[in-house]
Formats: sequence, structure tokens, C-alpha cells
Amino acid sequence: MLHFILKRLLYAIPLLIGVSIIGFGLMHLAPGGPLGVYTLNPTVSVQDIERIKVIYGLDQPIYVQYVSWAGNLLTGDWGHTFFGGRPVFTVILERVPATLLLAGLSLSLAILIGTAIGMLGAVKRYSIFDYLATTGAMFALSFPTFWFGLMAIFIFAVELRWLPSGGMYDLGEEGNSLDLLRHLILPTAVLSLVIVATWSRYSRSSFLEVIGQDYIRTAHAKGVPNRLVITRHAFPNAAIPLIALLGVQLPFLFSGALVTETIFGWPGIGRLFVDALTMKEYPVLMGMMMFTAIFVIIGNLLADIGVAMVDPRIRLE
Amino acid sequence: MAPSKDKGFFTRRDFVKATGAAAGAVAAANILPSKADAAGKDRIITAHSQEPVQYNPLLYVNRGTENGPEAAMFDALWDMNEKGQFVANLATEVPSRENGRVSEDGRVWKIGLKRDVRWHDGQPFTAKDVAFTYETIMDSKTAVRSRSGFDLIKNFKTVDDYNVEIELAEPYTPFLWSWQEMHIVPRHILKDEPDINTSAFNSEPTGTGPFRYKSRTAGSHIVFERFDDYHRGAAKVKTLIQKTVPDTMVLYGQVKTGEVDYMMTSLPYDRWDEAAALPDRTFFDLPLPWVQFIYFNCGKPQFSDPKVRKALYMALEMQKSLDDIYLGRWKRTFSYLHTSHWAYNPSLKEETPNPQLAAKMLEEAGWKVGADGIREKDGHKMKFTMSTTAGNTARQGCQALFQQNWKAIGVEMEIKNMPGSVVWGEYTTKSQFDTLLVAWAPIVGMDPDYTARCHSKFIPAKYGQGSNYVQYENTEVDRLLEKGAVQVDRQGRKETYMEVQKILLDEVPFAPQGGVFGGFVRNKNLMGLKPNQYVTDSTWNIQDWYWG
Repeated sequence: MLHFILKRLLYAIPLLIGVSIIGFGLMHLAPGGPLGVYTLNPTVSVQDIERIKVIYGLDQPIYVQYVSWAGNLLTGDWGHTFFGGRPVFTVILERVPATLLLAGLSLSLAILIGTAIGMLGAVKRYSIFDYLATTGAMFALSFPTFWFGLMAIFIFAVELRWLPSGGMYDLGEEGNSLDLLRHLILPTAVLSLVIVATWSRYSRSSFLEVIGQDYIRTAHAKGVPNRLVITRHAFPNAAIPLIALLGVQLPFLFSGALVTETIFGWPGIGRLFVDALTMKEYPVLMGMMMFTAIFVIIGNLLADIGVAMVDPRIRLE
Repeated sequence: MAPSKDKGFFTRRDFVKATGAAAGAVAAANILPSKADAAGKDRIITAHSQEPVQYNPLLYVNRGTENGPEAAMFDALWDMNEKGQFVANLATEVPSRENGRVSEDGRVWKIGLKRDVRWHDGQPFTAKDVAFTYETIMDSKTAVRSRSGFDLIKNFKTVDDYNVEIELAEPYTPFLWSWQEMHIVPRHILKDEPDINTSAFNSEPTGTGPFRYKSRTAGSHIVFERFDDYHRGAAKVKTLIQKTVPDTMVLYGQVKTGEVDYMMTSLPYDRWDEAAALPDRTFFDLPLPWVQFIYFNCGKPQFSDPKVRKALYMALEMQKSLDDIYLGRWKRTFSYLHTSHWAYNPSLKEETPNPQLAAKMLEEAGWKVGADGIREKDGHKMKFTMSTTAGNTARQGCQALFQQNWKAIGVEMEIKNMPGSVVWGEYTTKSQFDTLLVAWAPIVGMDPDYTARCHSKFIPAKYGQGSNYVQYENTEVDRLLEKGAVQVDRQGRKETYMEVQKILLDEVPFAPQGGVFGGFVRNKNLMGLKPNQYVTDSTWNIQDWYWG
């Protein structure tokens, strides 16, 4: 397995280089740029903009800018933000814990609940529960996340005043776990809702496929209790495609949930991305792209390992 | 094994138990006391929808967003008060000819500095800090947003620790605004920085302002604590917090729940009436420095004739656009200034909409209706694009209305909106656009000087300087602008700029639509705020805020 992992990591190197070249090129070739924001400041003249362009190195040809950026990256220097002059690595890293917490919790909860609903829906196919689950999933997927977010804030924060409307902590309560829990409830519920809806559909169809197999019928015929058939025979087989799917969704832990973080003022990476994209903060966008690419590679690697562990037919070579 | 358990691995009973546990968890969270209303009266929480990322007052770009930290932590030599008067801050008095601090020819400025001012780290503030600030602004390696006014300094002399003398290459009355907009930075901290653009100071600065930096939680809030040795007297509250709440409606919700004491971002127009009726909150509106215009690119054949521009302007339902789209919150103006500005020309009159006259003027200018219903002249069709920031729904509404207005007189306008980083980049600065829909403030603070916007020397597409993006040229306007920049007495200046406004309305290089207004909400008991239409920063006098 170690050989497999090392090989995959080696393959990742040219992949990351390719991603960085394409990403850097597209970002710079797209019309507009970070200096557009200066134009809206009436005191800024064209001479000022030209001067700032030179300071940021934006007057150089794209390939020169790329070589400079990539060279710095190899030495561990991720560059500095244009607007604030802060180290990009720090700027990204300080947002990661908030996103990991919100996205990680939401993803975990949603997968647990979604898998359970999907499994139950498949086992009790065409039951009232199944119809309710299907309708609920369609409902959750039909409405935009921001609508759920605003409704949740309106009902639970503004009207009932049970829960805070946003942020990660009440001011002055930083580090208070109970306060964090209160702030987590609404964004986690909203973010989970959509993932539960999709995940329940995936798991339902995966389970339906498995429970129609001969070995399940054989197990029932041999008198194996239904619960054991589901948990020991159906679940591991139905989980195989879900694990692969989970691997693809892992980067979500890093990329975050743009809408949910914006609505709830959650200080995570999603908001950073939106701000960086609006301002065309090339160094931050490149840094986030590289982080995400690394997460995609790791996610897929973990999924492959996970599938191999669950499915004895697969050998990692 | 009991049959009931064999029916499934997750029974109804299990489901009910799980639901009960979840409800219990929510209830447990609910009974925890809400901190929102428990805020002591020793702190003020302001909030903005954008996060300030640059606290160095010389380097930030976003006026409005980053003015908050600037006002809390830094001081300028003088401030602009709510009456439109300069008031001394770090300086002992505002230089003028009357007090002998500005020479008769307006070129030599003598600035005295207060002696009792200390930086947050206890070091004394001196003339060396002012000199360092000027040198930093002029350093080619500093990404300072603007050198407007400072580039006219011919000689900067530090007379002693508390006096500086500045000689300008030419008289420039708006020079007061240049210093009002640039706050002073500490020499003793920054002088050895190898690169001020990436200095740690920019995130954790030291100023002379009423509050000192305490901490920042990325994406969430900044905490400032009172600076007890503040030279204008310690602030009334101990702690100031500036939160970031990206969604404006959520931010408004937090004002209502008491999580925020003052909303720095303007409230959506459709909420103003509701906000005004809130029992424990105070709503107020005030003119913001911006005026929204249609910019005509005079370098394009369709817009080179002033009569044509005037005709195009007169076809538009300007007042209707303000009433229907901005719900009557904005006020109509016929100039680049708000009607409440001291230099506004009150003799300017409404001439829109008058489509019949507009069509007649186009006919007279030689633009005849073609076979396709579009006017044309010398092979050019009266067809053009209008651009603004994509996603700005209010402006899109205006564009749709203007499109209809123009279509009625045989003019075709195509909406071509783009992301802000595109439309306000070289598309604007190199005058590549046909028309723009844009809101801009005056050039130097709220001074009526408009040289960079419409003097013929300041066309960047031709001369690489200024911001006369419409490529407007008029020798009389040039003369008046040059005159106004050196005039000292306010009445004389007013007359000069009134004349400029009259010509601009006759020739319409940019068609004024309306003066932008903002609506803000504060806790009813939060006192000391002074709405100030002359600055972009509503927290400009934060040291005077207190709980009533």
C-alpha cells in the first residue's frame, strides 16, 4: 500500500504544476484585474494606477509573473495579498479552522442522517417514510440555500431570539464551547439540509441496487435476521460507491460553503474566496486553488484506500 | 430475537428517541442566556458588510470600509466636521491666510503641531512623523492609493519638532483636503521597515487615535480598546468593536436583535420606512459623497458633439428613475455636487424628460432616422453600449428605463455590464467604453475642484494622467478650473464652480442623475454620532460617541 501511496503522490506533482499553470493563465487572461477597485476611488489617477501596477509586478508578462510566483512557492513563500500586504499562507490558514468545523460537522451529520434516510427508504421502499423522504429531498434541493438561511435567521434569531443570527462566537465569548455550539446550530442545519437531501438520494439508489442482489436474497432465505442482512451484507456493498463519492466531496471541507458562510457571517474560507474573487486578489486565489487541488488529490487517494479496505476484490498496486 | 426488532434496524421508537434527543439539544442551547442583549454600556459594536483588510491609512483602497479602523486608530492634521468646516486635530490650527499660516501667494504653508500627542506605544508625536508620512506617500515603492495634492509639494521642511513648512510648486486651495484624507503614520515604527506594503504594521498598527488595536478575528471582527492618553480626551467607552456581517439583511437583523449598535452599511431603500418605525432604534438618512452619472465618451463619434449629448440627456426620465428605482430616496441633482453642497449652483434647472425637443436637436445635429428606425450620420449609427457593474440590480433598472427612453427617439443602447474588476479597469481608464453608469465622489475630499475629471490636460487616454475618462475638452472649463484651484475666498470659488457646473450641464460630458443617499440605523441610546455629508466615514468622530 505504501508503494501505491508514494506512486500516487508522485503522480500528483505534475498534476499540481499543470493546475497551477492553467489556473494562473486563466486568471490573468480573464478581463479586468485587481486594480479596477482603485478606479472607483476618485482620488486615484491613472498615474497612481500605473505606479501601483509596477509595485505589484502586474506590468510584467504573465510568464514572468508565473515563474516568480512558482519560484517563491517552492521556497515556501505563498506571496502577499495585494490589499493588506499580509502573507497569503497565513490569510488562508487562519480561515481553515472555522470552515473545517462548519463543513466537517455538516458533512458528517449529513452523511450519517442522509445514509440512514436513504437506507431506510430503500428497505421500506414505497412506504410513507420513503415518499416523505423523497418529497423532503426534492423540497430541500428545490430551494436555494440562501433562502433557508434567511428563513432560519428570521425565525430563530430575529423573531424567536433563540439563537444568534451569525458569527462564530458572541463578542467576548471567544473559546466558549457552549457559545460556539449555539452559533453552529443554524448554519450547520442549513448546510446539512442540502447535503442530506443529495446524500439520501445517492444512498437510497445504492442500497436499492444492493438489496436486489442474489446474495441478499440468499441471506434472507437462510434465515439471517433482517437487521444483520442490512448491516453486515448490504451496507458494506452499498457503501462502496458512497466512499468514492465521499472522496470527491472531501475538498468541500476546505473550499467551504460560500453561501452559508456569507449568510451567517461565518468567518471561513468560503467568504475569503468570495472576497478574493471580487477583488481579483490573484495571490489569494492561487493559494486557495493550490490548497483545493491538494485536497482533491488527498480526497481521491483516501477514497481509493477506503474502497480497497471495504471491497476485498480491490487490491492496491 | 423479538420479532419487532427484526422488522428493521431502525424502529419508529428509535426515531422518536433520536428526535427527542435532537430537540433536547436545541432546547439546551436555547436556555443558554443570549449574549446579544447583555452587552455592557462600556462598549460599542459597529458593523459593516465588508471586512477591512488594510489598517495602514496610507495604503487602504476601500473608502467607507477601512475608514472605520482609520478613524479609531489614527489622526489627521485636521478633520472635516459636519458643517463642512476644517477643524484642527494634530495641528494646532487649520492653516489660512487669516492666521498667517498660508502665504499671500498661497504657496507656503506653515503647520504647527500639538505638543501633547503620544502614539499608542507612548512615544511622542513630532514633526518627524509628518515628514515621514509625506516621504512615504511620495516613495515610488509605496503602494499609496493617491498622491493627489502631495505631488505639488516642492519643498518640505521640518522647522523643529512641532513645526513644518511646506512650499508648493503652485497654489492649490484643496491642499487642506489632501492632508485631511491622509492620516499620520509613526516614523519610529516604520522607518526601518524594508517594505511598508507588506509590513506587520498594516495588520496591527500603532496610531495616535482615540482607540488602540487590540485583536482581530479574521472574517469576524476587530477589537479596539480606549487609548487613555488620547490628546483630545479619552473616548467615552472602553471598547470599540467593528464587526463584519457580509449580508446586509442579516446585518439589519443584528441591529434589530441588539447584536450590533450601529450599522455602518447603508440599509436597502425598501427597509427605510420599517427601520424608521423601530421602537428602540434611530434611523437617519444623509447625502453620501457620490453622484450617479451617465458618462458619455466624448472621444467616440456619437458623442463628440455637445448638442447630441445634451439631446441624449434630455430624452431621459431622470426623476422617474429616482422615484421608481431608488424609491425616491436619492435627490435629483444637475451637477457633480449634491444640491446641499455649499458650491452647488442653484440656478441649474430640470430639463428632462423632453423627448420631442431631444429628437429635434438630434435632427438639427444631422442625426436622421434611418430605414431601421435608428438615427445615423456620416455612416455612423446612433448605437452604443452602456456599462456598469454586473449584478447591480438598481442600475440595471435605470439602464432598462434609459434604453426605452432612447429607443423612442431612434437611439439604440445596448446594456453591456461586466464584473467590477473588468468595467472599472482599463475599460474605463483607457476610455474604451461608449457610456458608463457610475457613481463618483468629487476628486479631493468634498472640495468642488473637478480638475482631474474634466480638465483637458487630464485625459489619461491621451496624456497618461488624470481621470478625465470622458475625454472632455473645453478651454473655458480649463480656465475656470485653474482659477478655482487657487482661489481662496469661498464666495469667489463658489462663483467659479457655479460657472463650471453651468457649462457642464450645457455640454453634458456626464449626465447627472441623482445624489446618492444612505440610510443608517443605530441603537436609540447611542449618542454622539454626527451625520456628516462631507466625509465617507460615518465614525469620523468616534471618540465622542457614548451611551445615553
